[in-house]
Amino acid sequence: MTTATSSSPSAPTASIAVCLKWTAARDDAGADPDDDRFAGVSAADRAALEVALRLGERWGVPVTALAAGPAGAERTLRDAIAAGADRAVRLDMDADADSRDVAFELAQATAPTGGPCADLVLCGDYSLDRGSGSVPAFIAHHRSAAQALGLVSVDTDGPAADGVVRAVRRLDGGRRELLEVPVPGVLSVEGSVASLRRAPLRRALASRTAPIEVIRTPPAHHRGAPAIVTPYRPRARVMAAPAGDDVLARLRRLTDAGAAPARGETVELAPADAARRIVEALRDWGYLADHDR
Amino acid sequence: MADVDVDVVVVGAGPAGACAAIELARAGRSVVVLERGPFPGSKNMYGGVVYPRILDELIPRWWEEAPIQRWVTRRSTMVLTPTQALTVDFRSQAWGAPPYNGATAYRPDFDHWLAGHAEAAGAQLLCSTTVVGLLRDPGGRVVGVRTDRPDGDLRAGLVIACDGVNSFVAKEAGLYGPVDAANYTLGVKETLALPKEVIDERFGVRGREGVDIEILGGTGGVNGGGFVYTNLDTLAVGAVLKLPKLAAQGTRPEEIIAGLKAHPAIAPLVEGAELKEYSAHLIPEAGLAMMPKLAGDGLLVAGDAAAMCLAAGIWLEGVNFAMASGMYAGRAAIEALSRNDVSTEGLAGYERRLSETFVLRDHRKLRRAPHLVLSDRVQHLYPELITSVVERMFRVDNPNPKPGLRRIVESERRRLGIRRRDLARDGLDGLRSFG
Repeated sequence: MTTATSSSPSAPTASIAVCLKWTAARDDAGADPDDDRFAGVSAADRAALEVALRLGERWGVPVTALAAGPAGAERTLRDAIAAGADRAVRLDMDADADSRDVAFELAQATAPTGGPCADLVLCGDYSLDRGSGSVPAFIAHHRSAAQALGLVSVDTDGPAADGVVRAVRRLDGGRRELLEVPVPGVLSVEGSVASLRRAPLRRALASRTAPIEVIRTPPAHHRGAPAIVTPYRPRARVMAAPAGDDVLARLRRLTDAGAAPARGETVELAPADAARRIVEALRDWGYLADHDR
Repeated sequence: MADVDVDVVVVGAGPAGACAAIELARAGRSVVVLERGPFPGSKNMYGGVVYPRILDELIPRWWEEAPIQRWVTRRSTMVLTPTQALTVDFRSQAWGAPPYNGATAYRPDFDHWLAGHAEAAGAQLLCSTTVVGLLRDPGGRVVGVRTDRPDGDLRAGLVIACDGVNSFVAKEAGLYGPVDAANYTLGVKETLALPKEVIDERFGVRGREGVDIEILGGTGGVNGGGFVYTNLDTLAVGAVLKLPKLAAQGTRPEEIIAGLKAHPAIAPLVEGAELKEYSAHLIPEAGLAMMPKLAGDGLLVAGDAAAMCLAAGIWLEGVNFAMASGMYAGRAAIEALSRNDVSTEGLAGYERRLSETFVLRDHRKLRRAPHLVLSDRVQHLYPELITSVVERMFRVDNPNPKPGLRRIVESERRRLGIRRRDLARDGLDGLRSFG
């Protein structure tokens, strides 16, 4: 059994937050951003909500549902209240805000200081649009909390006093990893973990007018987020198919797999001459096009 | 009525339900609209023409905000045989300006918009909620609905069933007689995408002008009719097919649409279009003959749920009847609730309003029309009679001289084995219905 690490001591859980990624499914140009008809959340997010509600009931702690997005996202939050969430918070952001910005704001909103506090944060492990599952990892980073992502089951029958959540994570090759995740922590779950309960009629009716807290977030460029720097990638080149009948041999020749690098050479030059030599070599090898001169 | 959760429950957030809710909410009544789809119009397959003039009474200048596709300024009635087509084509530019006449619309947009007015007036709309039964008091009066949600009973002073064709609520309440499949047709439709400019060019329209083509024949021998409607950048092409005949013939409805699209008169209109959607839905076609009782103790029925659909050949209307009947149901409900009498008698104001207006007057006037239009002679013999007569009229058969029209009609009638007596009777029926 593996124990995920945490920098905080174990303590009885005081509250649970569930983050729901609202996605406007219709991509029509000029569509009303507040039109919620074709929008929704992923099965994984619904599973996260159900797990949060079960843990909340088991531990006797309140559950807060959060969504980052325009006003259209509020129907998702109302659905969460209908299903049993105690509070709903909308972070007023663009629907296509960068995952890191969304995670930063969610971390702020669920941090012990400066917003609705949450000791345990639950997310789905993919959203309906990009589905990279990166937001929960970023939240855990910002909060210096334990993280366990892509869970295939969560034990919702354990007592709160343990200060841990037992869960199972998928590993390669059909293996499973049994985790004890300390609280505070961030969990993301797959859609198969739980199916969301049907909201009772009266709660569903009351949720239509339930208050939703809205947190205005500053535009991303005010947060001093660094510009994205990507590693250098050589341009793609057209290469003739190697001759021969053996497929493996042809692939090896094409990818230089197993072959010693033939282009290496060591020279000792003054910095300016060295730079000139490197550019020449890159051009000879085809990494620089003519217009890069 | 102290033990109710809400004054009125409206079942279904289509045009009937939305208009009933608008009236009730504006009168200060608490009203919950239950919709089984995730949003109003979500499960709709409509591809026809909406005639929204009745909305003048609810939403002044509705045309400035209603999400319509095109205003119908061209109406064509087409008679098809496998190799012939006769079209009567009418165009009016007046129908392309306020207050307009008919419009094509996507119902997920239209119903969503109309239900938005009900919500704005104060009605509570709850989607993804299916009514599975009625609550009754010991005397049998309807006192609410049971939904598919946990703790899903909702007690109400009055229930208005606007749950569409094949209304389970009206049936459960015993308002319908025995169900006869012959009273229903199956509407099947393809939504075909084409660039707006191509549609404009092929159908001879500009801007928001649209075309409505109703077709007699071309339905592969199954009694019914075809249609082509223009949306902004799609066409709705399909057929309305009489159920028993369709079942007996064993033809797949999509094959009938394929046949219609391959007809020489239709093929150039739909060529190169991309299929976006195929859908099918029942239509309460028989008009007055199949209409249920419109009120029971604690219950009103409106729209398709009450079979308020006019399928009279040259007039094909439904949404306007739904909106009007919903509106009148709302008004009758307000009246009955304020008198604290929601018995069948207390709700009589509903049927009185329908009888005084086009809703029942049109149905009564055209009560023979659905049967006549779907009859075998009108469906299979008269199209050929008409097209053959016209073909011979316009064929220059020199050196033979032109035959007289009467002689052509008489010889074609005899060739097709149509008895004079039947022709006269159908003519009289037509005059009685449409005259």
